[in-house]
Amino acid sequence: MAAASKTSAGLFSTGHTVLRLVAGLAAIAVAWQASVLLFGIRPYYLPKLSVVLDAIASTPAAYAASVARTAAETLLGYVTGAAFGVLLGSVFFHHKVLKDTLFPMFVVSQTIPVIAFGAVVVLWFGNTLFAKAVMAFYLTFFPVTVNTLLGLQSVDPAQEALMKSFGAPHRQLFWKLQFPNALPQIFVALRLATSLSLVGAMVGEWFGDTTGLGVLLLQATYNENVVGIWAALLVASALGTLFYASVAGIERKVVFWRAEQ
Amino acid sequence: MIRRRQVLSTLGAAGLVAAPYVRAFGGAPVKASLRLKWLPQAQFMGFYLAVEKGYYRAEGIDLTINPGGPNLLTENLVATGADTFGVSGGTDSVFAARDKKLPIVCFGIGHQITPFVFVSKKDGPVKTIQDFKGRVATTWFTGANYVLESVLAKAGVNPKDVNIQPQQVSATPFVEGKVDVFTATLYNEFYTLDKRIGMANLTKFAAEDYGITVPRDTLIVSETTAKEKPELLPAFLRASIRGWRDAFADQKAAIDLMMKLAPTLQREHQEFMLAEIKRLMLAGKASEEGLFWIDPAAVKTAHDVFLNYKVISGPVDLKAAFISAPLQSIALADRKV
Amino acid sequence: MKRRTIATRTIVPSREVQRGIIGGLMLLGGWEAATRLLELPTYVLPPVSGIVQAIVERRAALAAAAGYTGGEALAGYLIGCTIGIGVAVLLALFPWPRRGFVSVATAINSVPVVGYAPLLLLWFGTGIESKIAAVAFAVSFVVFISTLAGLDRVDRRAVDLMRSFGAGKLAILWRLRLPTALPLIAAGMRVSTVRSIIIAIVVEMLGAYGGLGWVIYQAVMQIDFVQVWAAIFVASAISLVFFNLIGLAEWKLVFWR
Repeated sequence: MAAASKTSAGLFSTGHTVLRLVAGLAAIAVAWQASVLLFGIRPYYLPKLSVVLDAIASTPAAYAASVARTAAETLLGYVTGAAFGVLLGSVFFHHKVLKDTLFPMFVVSQTIPVIAFGAVVVLWFGNTLFAKAVMAFYLTFFPVTVNTLLGLQSVDPAQEALMKSFGAPHRQLFWKLQFPNALPQIFVALRLATSLSLVGAMVGEWFGDTTGLGVLLLQATYNENVVGIWAALLVASALGTLFYASVAGIERKVVFWRAEQ
Repeated sequence: MIRRRQVLSTLGAAGLVAAPYVRAFGGAPVKASLRLKWLPQAQFMGFYLAVEKGYYRAEGIDLTINPGGPNLLTENLVATGADTFGVSGGTDSVFAARDKKLPIVCFGIGHQITPFVFVSKKDGPVKTIQDFKGRVATTWFTGANYVLESVLAKAGVNPKDVNIQPQQVSATPFVEGKVDVFTATLYNEFYTLDKRIGMANLTKFAAEDYGITVPRDTLIVSETTAKEKPELLPAFLRASIRGWRDAFADQKAAIDLMMKLAPTLQREHQEFMLAEIKRLMLAGKASEEGLFWIDPAAVKTAHDVFLNYKVISGPVDLKAAFISAPLQSIALADRKV
Repeated sequence: MKRRTIATRTIVPSREVQRGIIGGLMLLGGWEAATRLLELPTYVLPPVSGIVQAIVERRAALAAAAGYTGGEALAGYLIGCTIGIGVAVLLALFPWPRRGFVSVATAINSVPVVGYAPLLLLWFGTGIESKIAAVAFAVSFVVFISTLAGLDRVDRRAVDLMRSFGAGKLAILWRLRLPTALPLIAAGMRVSTVRSIIIAIVVEMLGAYGGLGWVIYQAVMQIDFVQVWAAIFVASAISLVFFNLIGLAEWKLVFWR
């Protein structure tokens, strides 16, 4: 399964990406505002976009502080979670006994709705930024582990046999063949994990905090402040998109030989 | 700009007032935390104001306020020692905690009367409590449902004849007439309903009208703290009461502070909330006995409701669960508003 | 494929399963020992034996709740997978709106489903519809991204080869791109199983008429920690069954390839 080489794909598309993104967002903005006005949608279901933007503009400092805080938690959890996931996936790939014994438990760990254990999280990790990063970490590492493992396993056995026949040591086999081959799949998980880590951080903020997008969302929800809900959602999605786009950009640079079409 | 200057000048004045108070413990202030039952809002105004004005520091407590959240149980965090003090759900959650052997005690009660009511629309089918029969009522299934059932039973309506369903966050189903009876806290949901339907178009059914009261927003502390650092409790109460008195005396300045702490809140809602909270905290015996008064009679009626519905497995020793001594060590004049 | 050598059709569980069971038993044993030796109060961590006992005692209620939640999750999962794969395939056939679409989908997805939960409850009500919508929403995105990445894995030379034989877009998709994409689609579907149960539970916590999330929420508020854990155990169990069922299907598919 040799990869098609398309080295220039990553570079020339950047301008287009931005253009299309802006166009897509503008289209949504117009459709949003217009549909509320045209169909007379009640503000409790969907407020006007302009009203939502007004809400953000009236207290910009609060939103800026929340974005900074949530971004820090997300990034910390994401980076550590991604590193741990790749490491764990590689370890599981090399040690089948360990994988068979531990992997089911990691699966189980992902089936636990942590939101039910707010008190435990506070108890173990306190009210710090770190506690929220732990939540982001927890949601990030699992898909990265799974995809790393699957990616490493999907190496063409013929190529593996070929390298072995040349007497390539295990280390070389891993770094020269298996790991590069797994990278595209790892990056799929890394992209997916951007939103998961943001989810983790925001839910973590529900365990008693004063700043952060999760706090804004929660506050607005329980005060039935629909405009506030939308404002928080809008800001969160902007942050998430930026994060996703950054990782996708890195992906195009790193996995240049198999960039998106 | 003017607002900020006002806040600053209030702070300066507070510093002068606080100075003469002697620190209770000498030396460095004791580190402590207060876990709220929810996010910063006017419901907890007095505590925030007391921190801002240095009242806790003057009592020798270095207090951090930790907000609450959904599925975060104050009793649990205080019992495990993660937090020193807590504003917990209410007498109902104190009973449940004691019933489950959580080592916490209540040393003050914020809301003297049930802070939520059942409401129906004046132009809807429910005019009296008898009309609940065959109608859809929504309420929180975390205690309020037993209050509703008790109210119905007292009024001679079989709760089984009412279609009681769990209430979601939004008031929209009620506003749109899909639900006939809705449960509303007087300081929160009621504001939304007032905005969308208008208070004049609502009929209120208060638990107190049927001889039931569930005091809420209870101050709790672990048994360990109560035993090993008993001096902390009156100190905390004194500072908190000063904060609350200031909040009630100058509600505008208080809300200024809240808007500074949580700028995305709606000022109008917070003003409404503080006025309602004042009413709830000064209701019943608190008018004579002062803030955070523990009225044994009110606690007993609440206890009997939850015992009757087997929410708690057996009677709770109320004398051990609710301690008034720290509050009573403060002069009545200093507790009253 | 290495896996082919492992006999899974025999009655004796495979070595993989045995090891998994050993790992699980070690964890549960350590847990039980920790709660007993350290004398942890139930509000910190109840012993496994106590939780199991609670599950047995309340099996009827828990089974009903599990059925409720499982039904929501499964319905949402199927809808989500259909949408995710469908949209990705459409974009593979008609790629021009792809970048804009991916960007917008990512923007929407970057907000936790719990953030949309109040809106979903508003739009779809407190019943099962809001949970199904939430699950479908989250699953479709994960499956969509995985499918898209899978479809991109195709070997350019193979495409060119098929084209030179006069194969159309559809034929290339069906014969070449989809089979190549299968492992990634399957991985996305497998990861989504667990999330679908969690999302159903989380939305139930915010407002529901039944289900495990509803049980958990009530138990937390009534300080019944054993009940919380009992519900969590059941949730984990059905997630695992779900995960392994899809894993089995995946194995069959990859094997077939």
